[in-house]
Amino acid sequence: MTMHPHSTPPHAAEGVLLSACDVVRTYRMGRVEVPVLKSASIDVKPGEWVAILGSSGSGKSTLLHLLGGLDRADSGMVTFRGEHVGGYSQSRLDRYRNEHIGFVFQFYHLLPELNVLENTLLPATIGIGRFEWMRRQGEIRDRARMLLERFGLSHRFRHRPAELSGGERQRVAIARALMHNPDVLLADEPTGNLDAKTGDTILDMIAEQHRAGLTVVMVTHDQWIAARADRTVHLVDGRVA
Amino acid sequence: MFLKPLRFGTLAVYTQLLVRRYLSTRIIPLIAVAAVGLCVALVVIVVSVMSGFLDNLRASGRTLMGDVVISYPVQGIPYYREFIADVLKLPGAAAATPLVDTYGLLRMPYPGGPNKDVVTAQVWAIEPETFAQVTELDRTIWWKPAASPQEALEMAEDDPRRQQDLSGLYEDAKVLRDRATGRPGALLGMHVSVVNQRQRDGSYRPRNSTWWMPNHEITVTLVPISEKGTVSQSNSRVFKVVNEVMSGVFQVDKNRVFIPLKEGQELLRLDEAPIVDTTAAPDASGNYPVIGTSPARATQILVRAKEGVTPDELRVQVAEAYEQFYLQKSADPNVRTRPPAAEYVSIMTWEQRLRDLIAPVEKERQMMRILFSITYLVCAGLILAIFWSIVSEKTRDIGILRAIGASRMGVLWIFLRYGLTIGMVGSGVGIVLAWLVIRNINAIHMALGNDAPPWLYVTFFLLAAGSAALTVRALTRSRILSVLLWTVATLALVGIGTGLVLHRGFLIWDPAVYYFATIPSEMDWGNAWITAVGAIVFSVLGAAVPAARAADIDPVRALRYE
Repeated sequence: MTMHPHSTPPHAAEGVLLSACDVVRTYRMGRVEVPVLKSASIDVKPGEWVAILGSSGSGKSTLLHLLGGLDRADSGMVTFRGEHVGGYSQSRLDRYRNEHIGFVFQFYHLLPELNVLENTLLPATIGIGRFEWMRRQGEIRDRARMLLERFGLSHRFRHRPAELSGGERQRVAIARALMHNPDVLLADEPTGNLDAKTGDTILDMIAEQHRAGLTVVMVTHDQWIAARADRTVHLVDGRVA
Repeated sequence: MFLKPLRFGTLAVYTQLLVRRYLSTRIIPLIAVAAVGLCVALVVIVVSVMSGFLDNLRASGRTLMGDVVISYPVQGIPYYREFIADVLKLPGAAAATPLVDTYGLLRMPYPGGPNKDVVTAQVWAIEPETFAQVTELDRTIWWKPAASPQEALEMAEDDPRRQQDLSGLYEDAKVLRDRATGRPGALLGMHVSVVNQRQRDGSYRPRNSTWWMPNHEITVTLVPISEKGTVSQSNSRVFKVVNEVMSGVFQVDKNRVFIPLKEGQELLRLDEAPIVDTTAAPDASGNYPVIGTSPARATQILVRAKEGVTPDELRVQVAEAYEQFYLQKSADPNVRTRPPAAEYVSIMTWEQRLRDLIAPVEKERQMMRILFSITYLVCAGLILAIFWSIVSEKTRDIGILRAIGASRMGVLWIFLRYGLTIGMVGSGVGIVLAWLVIRNINAIHMALGNDAPPWLYVTFFLLAAGSAALTVRALTRSRILSVLLWTVATLALVGIGTGLVLHRGFLIWDPAVYYFATIPSEMDWGNAWITAVGAIVFSVLGAAVPAARAADIDPVRALRYE
């Protein structure tokens, strides 16, 4: 499906920030084709916290990747502010992920060679060039420190991820996702690797960001966690139930 | 929006940050840097030494024989002074000198007692004043006052050049005569006397100060050869050793002796002599009537070119001049002894005379360059293998970077830049290493030529003992990798220590075989930079394939990569 990236799709609803419409995604595993998303649709309004609930293999992570521009749908359409994300060029898609999306993963996905502060700064170091970095370095570092301090990591700036607990790593990952002030936070089982108490703390942090106006799409298989969201979308066998 | 977009993957800060961290937090890139450094050092050292060897060879040609050599051995060229006068009128000739070269016997002053050493030598009978204008005789004279007080202070305490006033000897050498007595003098190559011993600083001392040659005399015996090629009665003469010369070309310094031209001609009967008519009746004293004069002869004439004139240009001019000289003398009815015809006379540039020596070395250098260029491929292959493994290991990191917005070009650039950095750092390390080795190559060579000092192998054995202790500790902790590594280290240290104990000094670069007395120790910077750039280019090429693979990694798969 092709469409001008800045044209407004016919189905785009008013007041929708991010949406997927009848998206299909099939993966090839050797000679076998595995349909993961069969026809999934979801609308996310600005400032909304949506939980995508589904069992393992239901396609919820794949839907999140399509919404975040990490992957492209075989058919169907993902739109952001009415623009067809699937029609973006590769560089526009990179910029979309860098500027508008913040990813939080189950396994934190911090770079082991970088310390806490550097991991947090990563989106900024990707998003701007050397000259702008030289000009705005102080301001950018201040924001990273502010985020880390807010998440209780002020004593961990120089530590490597291997020296942190699971909860601390996830807090760094959230700080990194928020570094560039994204429009949408896409969280893939953010508490899946944490104990209940630490998981609650992480959800509290996400809730706090949501209260401040951040749009959140969270994938989980736990309905208790999904209950923290404004709205829950059930995904069963690649379709929204 | 907090941050405005800017899309220059190559200029983005994260590539620099990651490359720095990948380099500083891992051992594998350091191994790659070491490999590139060793490859570069290897090429630079080998080619620099060979280039230095060629340069020395070329420099020695001009130092020892000027630019063009006219040669007619044994019989020599008559009327050579007239020919030299013709040559000096040539537009390309700056100076010319006659000489007689032959082989003879030297009776040395040592050892004590009636039986002295007798050695064979290449005897050059020269006119020192004109010879010095054509060659660089002055520079090769060894026993002379220091050029400056600073140079004198840098000499060793027991260096005769520091101990004695050598200005008299130096002046004697320049005229090849003992000026005090008027006796003819001889200049000996530094290695003609077996008593002279080269020191580590490149200076010379007699093993026994009694036999410091400038205090002694030698007897030179030469054998004249008749026009019929028969050997005549040998002639001997005593010469005062006025000085010694050090050209740096071992074969010359080992064999050559300079004596004055006049004495050389007399000993070989190449001097001017009356021609007598043996068919006529002798006078009352029994002498035959003199019917003419046989001119003095020189077996070689050396010519130096003017500035800006190439040896080849001069050679053409000299060949034409000789042709004219020959025609003129042949046509002169008063000339009884004709010069040899041009086709029998060898007229060559110094390069042509040394061609047999220079051409193989040039070819060897070229071949070395080609062969050692394979080391570039080794660099590229090594980096490719290392980077392939790094990319595999970093697959998930690549996925993370892509999720945060890194472009494929950005990911590509991380690994290209990584290869570039390894190439640059490795080349830098290689050039510094090569420079250190080349600057100290003669000292290293001398160290290899001696037995290893006890402190050195004791140190290795102590280190081996420490390593063995760490092996035992690792054994007690059941660390298999540590046990293996420390065992290898212990064995290696014991091996090196034992090797040093068994090491007996040997000279890799025997001056008797390799022509020059010292190994060239000048860095060939042009070649070094080319090698460095080549290593950098091949490092980047080696990194390119894994970098492209990294850029092609699907971020979704990468994030799921375990």
